[in-house]
Amino acid sequence: MGQVLFIVWRESVEALLVVGILYAWLNNGDAAARRGLPYLWGGVAAGIVAAVALGAALLGFSELLSGDAQTYFQIGMVLIAAVLIVQMVFWMRKHGRTLKKDMESSLKESTEAGNWWGVFLLVALAIAREGSETAVFLYGIGMGEQDASRGALVFAGVLGLALAFLTFYLLQLGGKVFSWRRFFQVTEIILLLLAAGLLLTGVEKLLDLLLESSDWFSSLGFVSALTAPVWDTSWLLDDSSTFGSLVSTLTGYRARPALMSVAIYVIYWLVVSSALGKLKKPQVNNKQVA
Amino acid sequence: MSLRKTQFMAGLIGLVCTLSAASAFAADILTFKLEMQDGKFLPARIEVPAGQRIKIEIHNIGKTAAEFESVELRKEKVLAPGAQSFVVIAPLRPGEYKFFDDFHLNMPQGVIVAK
Repeated sequence: MGQVLFIVWRESVEALLVVGILYAWLNNGDAAARRGLPYLWGGVAAGIVAAVALGAALLGFSELLSGDAQTYFQIGMVLIAAVLIVQMVFWMRKHGRTLKKDMESSLKESTEAGNWWGVFLLVALAIAREGSETAVFLYGIGMGEQDASRGALVFAGVLGLALAFLTFYLLQLGGKVFSWRRFFQVTEIILLLLAAGLLLTGVEKLLDLLLESSDWFSSLGFVSALTAPVWDTSWLLDDSSTFGSLVSTLTGYRARPALMSVAIYVIYWLVVSSALGKLKKPQVNNKQVA
Repeated sequence: MSLRKTQFMAGLIGLVCTLSAASAFAADILTFKLEMQDGKFLPARIEVPAGQRIKIEIHNIGKTAAEFESVELRKEKVLAPGAQSFVVIAPLRPGEYKFFDDFHLNMPQGVIVAK
């Protein structure tokens, strides 16, 4: 029962982090930022519908979704989500400083519509991805167990959802308790870590697809160098363990990372941090001018 | 111009060869069967040859949903009760690769042993 509770919480926590952080960002912003909220909730609704539809597809047409179709779909979703998260962090960096201060400055910006659709898509993807698995899992529970334990398991599932919403609530509380600046710094890192994990998963799966479909490709010298594990930290934190796999989803942690994974992880952080560093400068100048 | 064309053609031929090779291999790929039953793996230990592409056919014979997952092999596959699917695994280095049922975490893990 505790297991069911944990699984439901874990499956929903990733989506809740995305939704919760975006909600806190937009809700704590100015009037212009709050205009993004309907897109956020629209994304939540679309995501739930998509999750149920996907879950039903997994149940009803498992042959259709068997094999590679599920993989292609996962790759597409994780890569798009990773890009959207990074884009959102950059957008907030540009606008976050001004969000609480000047109300009118960002009101006129018509370019924001594009960003709002990004919010919509990001939220919908996050919920659809994890939600569809939760749907299948819960369906399995509903169908599988004996009547005696079914009630308890359904209860555990509901409790898991409640726990997930508690996480969401704590996030909102965090936005109020800590200074906006500190809250923004922390949540920004959480989202960037999540995006790193998604990017890594997507690229690794893409490479696997190539390796699986072509002997010629997998026999190339540089390819076997790329896929060789660089180190082994499974003694410290095994990514196949319950806690380890959660850390792996949320941060891109790998106990035995391939050379390519290490390279992508490093390049990702170099690019993101240098681009974010560049963003800061004009804002400092603006401040000095103002 | 003609050089570029030649390069393009060479690339195209390479691609076609790769794809046809892929489909040829898909036919006689070494296949292993794995049954999942409410968190139990049958068998829990699969011995496979290293350096060769393999396919694992997964059948969920349990009453609850299952998710075949391996972090090391970067595989995750959700299976409704009664559902069947497969994963193809790229040529492995000799070693042990753990897999588990992400929906039944309290059950013992399985392992693929590549030799």
